Amino acid sequence: MSTSSSDSFFSRHEFLILRLHSLTGLFPVGAYMVVHLLTNASVLAGAPAFQRNVDAIHALGPVLPLVEWTFIFLPIIFHAVVGVMIVRSGRSNASRYNYAGNIRYTLQRATAWIALVFIAWHVFHMHGLIHNDYWMNNLAKPLYGGQFDAERATSSVALALAPLAARIAYAIGVGACVYHFANGLWTMGITWGLWQSAAAQRRANWLCGAIGLLVLAVAIGAWVGAIRVGEPENLKDAEAYELARSQQQKDFEEREARIKEELKPEQTNRAAARPTARARTVASEAAAP
Amino acid sequence: MQSTTNGHASPAGHAAAGTPLPDEFDVRILRQDAPDEASYWERHRVRREPDMNVISVLQRIAAQAKTVEGERVAPVAWDCNCLEEVCGACTMVVNGHVRQACTALVDRLLADNPDEIELRPMEKFPVVRDLVVNRRRLFRALEKLKTWIPVDGYYDAGPGPRVSQEAQQEAYPLSECMSCGCCLDACPQYQKIELARREGETDAEFAHREQEAFDTRFVGAHAISQVMLFNRHPTGALSAGERLDLLMEAGGIQDCGNAQNCVAVCPKKIPLTTSIGRAGRATVVRAISKWFGR
Ligand code: HEM
Ligand code: SF4
Ligand code: SF4
Ligand code: FES
Repeated sequence: MSTSSSDSFFSRHEFLILRLHSLTGLFPVGAYMVVHLLTNASVLAGAPAFQRNVDAIHALGPVLPLVEWTFIFLPIIFHAVVGVMIVRSGRSNASRYNYAGNIRYTLQRATAWIALVFIAWHVFHMHGLIHNDYWMNNLAKPLYGGQFDAERATSSVALALAPLAARIAYAIGVGACVYHFANGLWTMGITWGLWQSAAAQRRANWLCGAIGLLVLAVAIGAWVGAIRVGEPENLKDAEAYELARSQQQKDFEEREARIKEELKPEQTNRAAARPTARARTVASEAAAP
Repeated sequence: MQSTTNGHASPAGHAAAGTPLPDEFDVRILRQDAPDEASYWERHRVRREPDMNVISVLQRIAAQAKTVEGERVAPVAWDCNCLEEVCGACTMVVNGHVRQACTALVDRLLADNPDEIELRPMEKFPVVRDLVVNRRRLFRALEKLKTWIPVDGYYDAGPGPRVSQEAQQEAYPLSECMSCGCCLDACPQYQKIELARREGETDAEFAHREQEAFDTRFVGAHAISQVMLFNRHPTGALSAGERLDLLMEAGGIQDCGNAQNCVAVCPKKIPLTTSIGRAGRATVVRAISKWFGR
């Protein structure tokens, strides 16, 4: 590769690094992107469905950052850093040799740049990058970052996608990522020798094109869904649902605290932790809806 | 131009009815006097004769040695040998596409663009003079990857293994490669290497430094295809693993970006991207079996 001297680390392990780059494009980065878009498209089914999916992810609790870093952030960073080196090693000549394959090669690089900028901004826009109060309130929020709130999943997404500029940015950014993924699947099949003959590569073209269109349909669903929940009456419904949900949670926590309080003296009095008749009635009361 | 036409002009030659071919035409040539000097464009005018190719045009230009402006100049230098598209010596960039000058027919070029013919040296190799380039790196890649069958000694080793008709039919197209370098010139992942000689550097030192540079940068589609040719030959297969190991070194198969220009411009229509796919699989299998095998 043109960017490296003969004995650099990259040069010595070039084959392994580039195969890992190819692999991470599909797994976990590409696979994650598809799951992520499917989750987001569930907003089409309404605020409760979307909130439940978000809750399922956040049910991981303290393990979530670990999962995020090993399966999402680090692989994307690796794919992006090596990807930039690859882009810089090539020099497109599609204006002169305007064959379909060459144009796709050039688009794969163009969409790589768009994906790089988009993903960096998207993570800032929704996630905020650093979850520290000072950062969030003084830097991220004023710059329209950290917009997503897992407790108010639907309405926060709707508000994040309210500005026209944000909608355009997501359409371009996600569109580029989907092209990059689908065309990447096709080149990957050659890189790993899955489709070899010209005829097999043509058939694979249809396959990857079909996968790309399916993923694009999901992406459009997520985009349309996010915009639809932003319409005034839908947004009100979503906010009502989220308010009810947080009140329910608060009620639940209060009740839980009350039960704990009432159980306390009984337990300290008796060595055997057998619940008394009184405690038993409180517990069954709490279990009732 | 469509990929199916292999970078050659459409066979519309004389068929371009309605637009009669001109009696004379201009040839714009990107010239360079010596390796380290700047290049410059020069325009020559040539009278059209029946059935000319770019080599015969260059012969006329050499005989005239005079530009359109009437200035006397040194004859344009070029290379050729077989004149039937089997040696690759005459490869150059004609009207923006890399191809062999000997099979670039003037009537077809003029049918596509009646105004002029543009000639440039290949882009990815250092210019020696005018249209002559130094393609040492192309041959070094074949040497590095040992794309031959090692049969040393003069004794009779007996008959080789039988090769099935099917295998022969697969191998034959790959064996047609003439090392012309079109596939490299059009490849967006293959960049020019042109080293300047350092002060006081001997020939041997310079050659060593140049080889080091060649050996860490992309080998190119022609060499990958030759590895697959010799790895599939029953005797050549004895050193298949060694070739694959070399193909996984820096500048190996992994530098291909799947633009597929190589297969589109190859004058021999060699299925280069099939070879690239095969080499991709073979190197992965080789790497994994080595990793877990010992
Ligand atoms: C949503 C994010 C992304 C996904 C799903 C993704 C997926 C993929 C896939 C599946 C491949 C095919 C690998 C192969 O050809 O062997 C690929 C290739 C590539 N990716 Fe990404 N990628 C993403 C982001 C990026 C970013 C941010 C960059 C760098 C700026 C990048 C640069 C590249 C490059 C240069 C290639 C071509 C490799 C080659 O042909 O040799 N990608 N990507
Ligand atoms: S593979 Fe084709 S284009 Fe490349 S050197 Fe051989 S004949 Fe020329
Ligand atoms: S397929 Fe690979 S070798 Fe062929 S032109 Fe593209 S990058 Fe170069
Ligand atoms: S002179 Fe041999 S290929 Fe043109």
